[in-house]
Amino acid sequence: ASQSAYKRFSELLPKEERENACSARVPKSQILTLPELRANPFQHRICHVFSTSETGDDSMSFEDFLDMLSVFSDSATSDIKSHYAFRIFDFDDDGILDRKDLEQLVNCLTGQGEESRLSSAEMEQLIQNILEESDIDKDGTINLSEFQHVVSRSPDFASSFKIVL
Amino acid sequence: MHYHYNEAFENPDYHFSETLEIDRRGSSQRNQFSHQTPYDSSLHGSYGEHRGREQNYPVAIPMSSLGPGSDYSQNLPSTSPYGNFTDNISFESEPELIHTRHSTLHLLDYPYTHGISSGSEDSFIRRRNRRPPDEIFMASSSTLETDPACSKEEDLVGSLASMSTNERMKAMQKMPETMGKKREIRNKVLKEITKRSRHRGAQLSCCRQCLQGAAVSFRRFGNALSEYFHQLRVWHKTLKIIGAEFGTSVLSYFVFLKWLLNFNIFSFLINFGFITIPQFLAAEPNNLSFMGLELLTGAGYFQQTVLYYGFYTNATISKTENGPSYNMQLAYIFTVGIYFVICFLILLFSMAKFFSRNFTNSELFSVNIQVASKLLCIWDFNITNEKAVKLKQKNLHTQIKEGLTEVNTEVLSFSVKERVLRLAIHLLAWVASLGTAVAACTGVYFLSINNLELFMKGHRSDLESQTATLVLPVIVSLLNTLIPFFFSWLGHLEKFQTPGQHIYVTIARNIILKMSIVGILCYYWLNIVATSQSQCWETLVGQDIYRLVLVDFIFCLLGSFFGEFLRRIIGTTVCMNLGLPEFDIGRSVLDLIYSQTLTWIGILFSPLLPGIQMIAFFIVFFVKKVSLRRNCQPPRKVWRTAQMTTSFIFLLLCPSLLGVLSVIGVTVWRLKPSKECGPFRGLSSMYAAVTEWIQILESYTASKWVVWIYHNLITNQLFFFILSTFVLIVTYIYWQIIRGRKTMTKLLLKQINNAGKDKQFLRRKLQAEQRAKRSSSARGGRGQQRSSSSYHPSRQPAQEVPGYPGRAFDTNQNTSYNEHPFSAEILSSSDFLPGWEPGAARAVALALRAREAALAEDSGGFQP
Repeated sequence: ASQSAYKRFSELLPKEERENACSARVPKSQILTLPELRANPFQHRICHVFSTSETGDDSMSFEDFLDMLSVFSDSATSDIKSHYAFRIFDFDDDGILDRKDLEQLVNCLTGQGEESRLSSAEMEQLIQNILEESDIDKDGTINLSEFQHVVSRSPDFASSFKIVL
Repeated sequence: MHYHYNEAFENPDYHFSETLEIDRRGSSQRNQFSHQTPYDSSLHGSYGEHRGREQNYPVAIPMSSLGPGSDYSQNLPSTSPYGNFTDNISFESEPELIHTRHSTLHLLDYPYTHGISSGSEDSFIRRRNRRPPDEIFMASSSTLETDPACSKEEDLVGSLASMSTNERMKAMQKMPETMGKKREIRNKVLKEITKRSRHRGAQLSCCRQCLQGAAVSFRRFGNALSEYFHQLRVWHKTLKIIGAEFGTSVLSYFVFLKWLLNFNIFSFLINFGFITIPQFLAAEPNNLSFMGLELLTGAGYFQQTVLYYGFYTNATISKTENGPSYNMQLAYIFTVGIYFVICFLILLFSMAKFFSRNFTNSELFSVNIQVASKLLCIWDFNITNEKAVKLKQKNLHTQIKEGLTEVNTEVLSFSVKERVLRLAIHLLAWVASLGTAVAACTGVYFLSINNLELFMKGHRSDLESQTATLVLPVIVSLLNTLIPFFFSWLGHLEKFQTPGQHIYVTIARNIILKMSIVGILCYYWLNIVATSQSQCWETLVGQDIYRLVLVDFIFCLLGSFFGEFLRRIIGTTVCMNLGLPEFDIGRSVLDLIYSQTLTWIGILFSPLLPGIQMIAFFIVFFVKKVSLRRNCQPPRKVWRTAQMTTSFIFLLLCPSLLGVLSVIGVTVWRLKPSKECGPFRGLSSMYAAVTEWIQILESYTASKWVVWIYHNLITNQLFFFILSTFVLIVTYIYWQIIRGRKTMTKLLLKQINNAGKDKQFLRRKLQAEQRAKRSSSARGGRGQQRSSSSYHPSRQPAQEVPGYPGRAFDTNQNTSYNEHPFSAEILSSSDFLPGWEPGAARAVALALRAREAALAEDSGGFQP
């Protein structure tokens, strides 16, 4: 598997850098051309979460790429998967899913277009429902353990949180 | 697992007090330590502006200087530069850390703990912004000694080092860290290990090195091998494309199909290897002519081939006169028997696995599983096709809207009259569906008897009678294809309250229909064909099953053509509002189960049937794939894939395989094999072959143990009686354990709820305190300096609050618990109101305890 991953990764690099693909970084725009990520509504978040770039440009090294693949692979445990899912859905990186995060998440799920967005009243109601069901300690936000609790009730998660090369 | 709680305590005011100070400070620190590997910063990078803090500790402090057991918690109150009490909150995990340092798995059980530090650091930094600049400088230097992240890493390394290699690898894999970070940890662990082993002495090193080298090369070899097999994986790409366009639910059908295909390949190989190949050695010439129609009917020429039971010899096959011989009877019965045992075990274990994975929580929480929280993990990352993504988003949109309106209108209840009406409709539908099934069975029964007579009369292999034999399987397949449509129409009439009910009821009816048809056929084979005057009834049954399998396969192909291709043509040209057809997963899977059942029944009568089924499944796979991609659209409703897969495997085990086993059992133990054909000719039953073999074995002393096992275990009723009693007892005990666990989970859940309430209450209290304090300090001018120092002993009361968790537990037992347990305590404490500071300190202390307790509960509640 790592061979094919290496191949796919080096294909993203310009020709002259292919020799040292292990040390090169692929810019975000290039990563997003991967067919596996191209249409994913969470593509920016995925790049952001797995990138170790110091400058914050979300570029990926080969190791980041492998990290991403291993999280999205079959062999990753459900805990790891839900951990990273939580971080992907945590749009403002503050360690909790608050109302804003949930709103963005729902927007990603339903599409960003004008006609596919929910009205603000619907959104309010939906987020209220989500919080009512999953916010166990009633602090108005969903934290990691609450999120993992929800995930544990949804056995489909492990098979759907998966990207294969 | 800690930092979420920080947020709860954090005063929202702090968010607004961000200044540029922090940025300056952060960047200067970054420059100072910028020589670190780039990978480490990922977590911090993604979680906040504060990078490269944690990673620097190993450099700033030599590892030995800060041993895992540094009395860190003790010097915290005095040396801590964070006068502000909020800082303490971000460090709440220290006591816990110290306590649990030696439990190796503690950190690893909570994969977040390591990542947490970054989160808590983040909030921590935000709070620090409020401090004057000179204090910050001091803080940044002294945090190096007292940061929990560092000691946490020490702990982690220590605990990892004390594990065995295998455990360590597993634990490392469980950590949600980047590769660079993991590598760093691993290197440290290895260093630690070498340090430890040096203490112990290095006499064994040479031997151990040898062993380690061997282990490493062995592992490399294993990796290379798995890599190689990975490339061999068939249909990887096909499955990926299907998943990309249609999502996990449709994919599960193909995975199931592939699984069944593997099953059949395995069984074909076994049968071919142990039954057919030896038979080839003793083959007799086949003097029947081949006409072509036999491919459909399975009769005629095939009658005298290895395809059927009747052709196999009952002799012992041996190449040389006195060489080792091969007993065909035993080979036949043991191959089939062992195959079924293996099948049973595989199904049982995979079902148990699925059950434990998918039904762990559902029973307890089935009440509050709803659509809304499912949204959190509903996105199918398999879908990568752009159009499919758009479609999925659209579907989710309508689903959410439907869900919202459903929630709003859910409250309307039915009157008594309506309820009776509904019940009557359901009852009628059930009567109708059961009546159809019974009618279908009767029809099949009389048709098959008719068929048998016809076959017995026109015994010669003329074309007409051969074609007539095809009537039965065609009728059966027609019934199997058409009646489900009737059932789904009935289901639409019934107007179920939830789509889940609809699916389950339809599946149940289909299963009843299919299994009763198979049942009536089995009755016909075992009771009528077996006692008929035919030459070789086993071959007749084998032919019947062959035809059924083949015609079913053809109908499956036709179903794809008519049900999907023509439906698409109609839906896109004639009747536009019909649209593209959806792939009906439930019905397709039931078809698969049906044909697999037929194959299993047929194995005894036609040992090569799995091979034929294998080819059929292979073709079905490709036809379905093409038809799906050309004609269908992804299913609109959310399909609970994992649970459905579990129930399908359950169906494959429970009516299907168990039914087959009973049929096989009756055939082997009760029925008399034909006199003139097959490996068991002349015996009173097939099982008599085993009895005779045991009798022969009794004369050999070397094989006494086989005889002993046979007499004392297999034919001994007492043994089975004891065994089943034992199993029943164990089952009962487990059942009780489960019940206990359920109560425990409920209790813990309640505790979490209460802890949450406590927390909310305390937060409100704190905010009120702070507001009051701020106003008072604004009045008092320089009150801040004083207050920051007077918060130091604030940890002391934390230990003084007696028995908090116990108390909380007690109150939780009381279901009518409404009043907050601490409100009374706080309000009654006399020093609460007069002085602000001690009161606040007490509140913080309480908050700390509450949070620790909540953490403890929380971890228990989520990993029951």
